[in-house]
Amino acid sequence: MKLYDYILSPSCYKIRLMASLLGVPLTLRPVDFHPGEEHLTPEFLALNPAGTLPILADGGLLLTETSAMLVHLATSAGPDWLARHDPQAAASEQQWLSFAHRLTASLGGARLCDMFQRPGDLASLQRQGIMALRELEVRLFEQRLRQQAFLASDRPTIADIACFPHVVLAPDGGISLDPYPSIRLWQRSIRGLPGFIEMPGIYRRHELSEEPDPDAANETAEQV
Amino acid sequence: MLSADLPPMTVVPALMPQGPFALWRSESGILSLQADRCPHRGMRLSHGFVRGEALSCIYHGWRYAQNGRCLKIPAHPRLEPPEAIRVETYAVTESGGLIWGCLETPAGAPPNFDGFAPLRMMSVKVSPQMIATSDEVDRRADGALAIELAGQHCLFLARAQPDGSTLLFCLIEEAAAPEARIAVSRALELFRCRLEADDLQKEAL
Amino acid sequence: MIGPMMDAWYPVALESRLGTNGRSTRLMDTPLHVARLNGGAIEIRTEDGRALPVRLRYGHVWTSLGAPTTDLFDIPEADQPGRRLVEVGVVRVRCSPLRAVENFLDIAHFPFVHTDILGAEPHTEVEKYEVEIREKEDEVWATQVKFYQPQAAKSASTGITTDYMYRVPAPTCSVLYKTCPARPGEWDVITLFVQPLAEDLCDVWPWMALFDDESPMTDLIHFQQMIFLQDRSILENQIPRLLPLDPGMEIPTRADLTSVAYRRWLKRHNYTYGAQLVAQ
Ligand SMILES: N[C@@H](CCC(=O)N[C@@H](CS)C(=O)NCC(=O)O)C(=O)O
Ligand code: FES
Ligand SMILES: [Fe+2]
Repeated sequence: MKLYDYILSPSCYKIRLMASLLGVPLTLRPVDFHPGEEHLTPEFLALNPAGTLPILADGGLLLTETSAMLVHLATSAGPDWLARHDPQAAASEQQWLSFAHRLTASLGGARLCDMFQRPGDLASLQRQGIMALRELEVRLFEQRLRQQAFLASDRPTIADIACFPHVVLAPDGGISLDPYPSIRLWQRSIRGLPGFIEMPGIYRRHELSEEPDPDAANETAEQV
Repeated sequence: MLSADLPPMTVVPALMPQGPFALWRSESGILSLQADRCPHRGMRLSHGFVRGEALSCIYHGWRYAQNGRCLKIPAHPRLEPPEAIRVETYAVTESGGLIWGCLETPAGAPPNFDGFAPLRMMSVKVSPQMIATSDEVDRRADGALAIELAGQHCLFLARAQPDGSTLLFCLIEEAAAPEARIAVSRALELFRCRLEADDLQKEAL
Repeated sequence: MIGPMMDAWYPVALESRLGTNGRSTRLMDTPLHVARLNGGAIEIRTEDGRALPVRLRYGHVWTSLGAPTTDLFDIPEADQPGRRLVEVGVVRVRCSPLRAVENFLDIAHFPFVHTDILGAEPHTEVEKYEVEIREKEDEVWATQVKFYQPQAAKSASTGITTDYMYRVPAPTCSVLYKTCPARPGEWDVITLFVQPLAEDLCDVWPWMALFDDESPMTDLIHFQQMIFLQDRSILENQIPRLLPLDPGMEIPTRADLTSVAYRRWLKRHNYTYGAQLVAQ
């Protein structure tokens, strides 16, 4: 599978993260989104007239919507990541996949405005972003009462991956994540999954690796 | 902060009226409340990580003990950090499912709200005064605000934030069933909407 | 008060990306417009119509609000044949321009902020290195800096001990020289050009002059953007936002000698736009 990718794009990261969690190798084709605006060149508009990234090509299949890419990855390599076990969870998964687009528009929009000076009404995008975060917080709180750590189920699904990147990067758009304890616990669970990878602004959990002993560096250096 | 929101080996920004502080729970469960500014280059310690019984700063990995002393400077792994390097540390205790911090010498134990357990904390973009004077709440002798949400008796603890907003803790009767908790949590969202809308209207006048 | 930083040169646009609409921006609280005239020439004016000096160098458009006493600093390597010149673009950061430069001069954060790329535990030790203020050039220099790196550059596939040199030729610009995996004996050049918008807000323009004939240009850009965005999440969370010049405010160690010299040099020249002089 070939991913047309931009390292700083939370949407592209969704696909890199999902593939890594599933152990699916991706062929990355880096696109000069900034400063080159390569995604708006005729070659790219022919691939995706919407002029957005990511784009995923798999054989004859060409996808430009991240929800579809997540479904495709999970269906082909990890059906456990689809909430197919009960109708409520399946519907909830769809709900969050759609909700993720609101996050892209609000939190993602604020981030583009604030970080790359894209034109836009930053204050209004931030307001919409906060509304979305509050909604996520209250639903995640309810999930905790049901002993479920993830959005649609007691295990992670593509819905979590669809929402995770833009939420964690909200501060890039000037939106604080400080007052959302359930969001904090949820993103901590995702960052603890085997196969988790980082993107700039989304750190690994350093506490999961051991505190090195002061002489460890010398030992490994000697081995080399 | 709610006890349930802070598992072992995590650090969070505790939103106090004086600003954010780094609140963390060690692997063995011990709580610490410290200044949210690393003495080295000012990084917020609440962005750090907790390994074992120490808090590490995310910037250069300086490690701090529960008493605030710097234990390790990774750039000089064999150096014993001077005694003078320490992060300001404050009193913190846990009672009734809530974590209480105190920036001065505590005058006594934190208050007790018998029969109630914390449900959620949330930030509200209006002042604590505005919440306390809302028609929907009654101020109790112990300072808590009593309110009825989704047919349940609830208590509010309202704490001012440096930006004039409020951090609101909602407590619910201990015996409340999960469905009742969900109903109260949703009613709480509506209560916040009403307050914030009223506030906007007042501003407009 | 801007003080002597008024007379320094600052980047305000990427020359290659400056279209006919120009770029409306700010420099130390002064709004200005960078225009591309019909003939292709570039003109910079403040809002009240004052024309500012223009220099085109290192891929960027440079200007000054004051009367620069020296020309824009020289990076001789920029003209060396065989180097790929990489325009990384701009990133806005809510921090003091001086904090952005200081972070760039620091290696001790590599294992924690650029984990598995520029550093990794347990290789956290910063060995002794040399720092001086070169009086003739009036620049801060750090040499013989060494650090163990898992993936020092886009073209590096295994861990190596990388050598560095750092140079501060202007209050908000820094140039680093690092081991060049493709050409032993040469140095790769990576710069951080910072445009101060306000005392606590800046636009950062990284730029590079590398020996690397293998990696696609986009990969080189992305590598540097990835690194800088990791730094950004630190820079936006340092307290206070301004760089403290009061020695009692923050505690340096031997690993911070470059930062100590930089702060001393700023203070000596009264380069204090973006600095906090007294602890608050
Ligand atoms: N179709 C994508 C949209 C993702 C998106 O908005 N990506 C941004 C990059 S982070 C983009 O390509 N923006 C185009 C632009 O801003 O010009 C999805 O399904 O999520
Ligand atoms: S700022 Fe905390 S370790 Fe350097
Ligand atoms: Fe860095």
